[in-house]
Amino acid sequence: MAAIPKEKPSRIEEERAQFARYKADVKARGKPFYPYAMFHDTIMSLVVVAVIIGLAAIWKWTSYGPHHDPTHPGLLGPEVTAPADPGTTSFVPRPDWYFYFLFYLLRIFKWPESVFLGTVGIPTICLILLFALPFLDRRRERRISARPVAMVAGVLTILSMAVLTWKGATAHEALASEVIADVPSWIQKEHLPPAAVPGAKLFATAGCTACHTYAGAGGSNLGAPDLTAIGSRHLGISFQIRHLQCPSCVNPGSPMPHFASLGYKRLHELAVFLEASKGVH
Amino acid sequence: MEPEQPSPDTERASLHEETQVPPPTLWPAGFAIGVVVILVGLVVHPELISPIGAAIAVVFGYLWARDATAELRGRAIVVEPERRERPEPREPAAPTGLEGVAPRPAVETAVTRSRFLEGATLGLGGVIGGLITVPVAGFAILPSYLGQKQHKVDLGPLSMFPLGQWFVATFTTDPAEGEVSRRTAFIRNNGTVADPKTGQMVPSFTIISNRCAHLGCPVQANGPSGAILGQKTVFERTANGKVRLIPVVPAGYGCPCHGGQYDTEGNRTAGPPVRALDRYAFEIDNGRLVLLSTYSVSHVVGTGAQAKIYKYQEAGPGQHVDGPEQWFYPLQPPHH
Amino acid sequence: MTLRRPPTRAELRRQRMEELVTYPLDWLEERSGLVGGIRYFLFRNVPSDVNWMQTLGSAALTAFLVQAITGVILAMYYTPSAATDPATGKPVAYESIQNITDHLTLGWLVRGMHRWGASVFIILMFLHMGRVFLFGAYKYPRELNWIVGVLILVLGMMEGFTGYLLPWDQTAYWATVVGINLNGTAPFLGPWLAQFLRSGQEITGETLTRFYSLHMLVIPAGIMALIGLHLYLVIRLGVSSPPWSKEAAGMEPAEEEPVPARRPGLMRPVPRGAGAAAIQAEPGGRD
Repeated sequence: MAAIPKEKPSRIEEERAQFARYKADVKARGKPFYPYAMFHDTIMSLVVVAVIIGLAAIWKWTSYGPHHDPTHPGLLGPEVTAPADPGTTSFVPRPDWYFYFLFYLLRIFKWPESVFLGTVGIPTICLILLFALPFLDRRRERRISARPVAMVAGVLTILSMAVLTWKGATAHEALASEVIADVPSWIQKEHLPPAAVPGAKLFATAGCTACHTYAGAGGSNLGAPDLTAIGSRHLGISFQIRHLQCPSCVNPGSPMPHFASLGYKRLHELAVFLEASKGVH
Repeated sequence: MEPEQPSPDTERASLHEETQVPPPTLWPAGFAIGVVVILVGLVVHPELISPIGAAIAVVFGYLWARDATAELRGRAIVVEPERRERPEPREPAAPTGLEGVAPRPAVETAVTRSRFLEGATLGLGGVIGGLITVPVAGFAILPSYLGQKQHKVDLGPLSMFPLGQWFVATFTTDPAEGEVSRRTAFIRNNGTVADPKTGQMVPSFTIISNRCAHLGCPVQANGPSGAILGQKTVFERTANGKVRLIPVVPAGYGCPCHGGQYDTEGNRTAGPPVRALDRYAFEIDNGRLVLLSTYSVSHVVGTGAQAKIYKYQEAGPGQHVDGPEQWFYPLQPPHH
Repeated sequence: MTLRRPPTRAELRRQRMEELVTYPLDWLEERSGLVGGIRYFLFRNVPSDVNWMQTLGSAALTAFLVQAITGVILAMYYTPSAATDPATGKPVAYESIQNITDHLTLGWLVRGMHRWGASVFIILMFLHMGRVFLFGAYKYPRELNWIVGVLILVLGMMEGFTGYLLPWDQTAYWATVVGINLNGTAPFLGPWLAQFLRSGQEITGETLTRFYSLHMLVIPAGIMALIGLHLYLVIRLGVSSPPWSKEAAGMEPAEEEPVPARRPGLMRPVPRGAGAAAIQAEPGGRD
């Protein structure tokens, strides 16, 4: 009689067999949870509670600063912040740090048609992938060396979330409320004469740093050049004024908005400031 | 698991083998009542009530003691053990077994008793669930959508708004709500413009809400204000509480959250906002500027009094009002 | 049979002390069966090669318990009202937190623990998730447990979001504005969801109380139920061994790759002398 060839067991049968082996192994060679594994758990829990208490203590004792001011930022941020003001024009909203990766995702998608990718598209897809992981990876293999796709995907996820969180933490928009505090350091770094100071303050509050970088402040948007050493190009005060009044007249195709509404006196102050900015020494 | 150890209780003989003890009597209760009456009498009326209580206590005490010592004094206690009629042993059911069951029709469509009970339980359970959840859910959900109030914000006389000057105006839309209803708008008096319907000259204001059209962050003016501008902030008190007007010379508006930028008409010039900034409708009431509700704007053509504003019903931030994406938001919740 | 002599006094004392402990436990066990359950949980076997990384789950649970306990204490003194206190001009909720921090004994500690415990809880959940991913412990038969775990993560982050509003300061208010509007951009139901969360068209005091209810009652109930399910599944399905362990429980007997047989022509044995010379004369040598 011909021997009946043994059929290869189906995947679920193999999985069940492995699980049965696992159960038998644990029963035969395992150690009781208490006290062996529970001891490790207890130590770790103690560390967790100590860390939480430590953070609370550090927050309290570093947030007061030298003059007992609870709004002083300190190592872990201020203990007291301003009460909610729904009509503010100077506050820079930020979520809690564990949402920074989502926050920065919103800053990446600047084109209005693509905004939905950052708000609902990508986060929803990622969450669905996360839920579906056990059904996407159905191999029984658990050794790390034999799971290249899983490891690469895992490392990429961790790296991208870390980078997004870091970028979110350091993102700043460089609007008037933030930049005005930088003016004293500009005066120092660029050795600005007193005549250039009113222009420096105008430059800080007129929103120029939303697109131009200057002495390390501001952001680079829409191709706007860095203005730290704009004065060294000797473009001249009258050119600066004409350009500020109507940038696209002087520089065709320029997306820079018109600043004619500032009035001649302020434009002159700005021009003096720009021409005095010869670079950081 | 360890084997069960015999507990003392199970060592006692099972009940049907020994006589039951006599049932408890009420004599102790009467004695207790007597004692209580004594004590109450001591407080209320010692001469009258306490002796009554004493008498009650003595009588019931004697009866109780007599019963309790009955065994000691040798009187036999006869108690009828509980008997129950044993049911007659039934003959095994006939193979047809049709007693007690209604005759079934040939087709299996009859509603049997068990199926009716199943359906009734689930149905009634559903009704009870509905009775509890629907009003509760309605209470939790519906008020969010109903009763949206329209606000009128009195910003002061027109003289507070010189021609062509931008202000950052802060006001409370509903003084009863308090600070939580504080809002900010960028306001400029554009002079007058001919009303297209009547041809009369009517005041024209550009009143732009400072909530970004991307996700609602507070938009800032890109321009000098306050001390740098050299102009004073104006405070006034109107029916809407404290109103603050800060003169500003903006070249545009910018959002600190994700990089949105707008021009002075509220059009988006850079960044992720999906439309222009919302605007406030307004009216002039007795020579005072009064803000009404906000509406959404897709874009604005032209500036100042000659601006053509493409208006839409107010939509939340991040929602397109024109273009193909508007069909993602076909039904807006009730607005004022 | 070992000893046949009568028990000593010390042994009798010990026996009686043991009975003192076991009697109430047996009483409870006979009437509820719970003691047996706890005994099973404590004395069940786990693989002998369990790793320190596998303590992250219970660490996350500890962090959650810290949050629950500090949260209950804070709830005794916090007032979820956005109304302005006429005496100070500040919101009542904001002031109640100031009161907790400044005036109550160790109030600063409870508040600080709750605030930083939230971050620790979320970090530990992410680390635990990463550990489970590394160990491949989301595969059969633990798929359901992974899904429950992701749900706990999502609920945990929602708990953080709702709790962030409660201090009612600038950071709280504006982060909530953006968060709710973000939900509002979802197609079709987005605006309705946003208005439900906000309890109206604008953020008002009702938004604060709504978030308070979600933060204190709804989401913690969900998290606790899911944690219960998560723990039940862990106990039922068992803890996995580290994948790199040499004696991993459940390992197949012949899991190593068989050594490939020598194929002639592929690995020609090199004569000794020639080999040494070949090594010394490197092409494009270092000098």
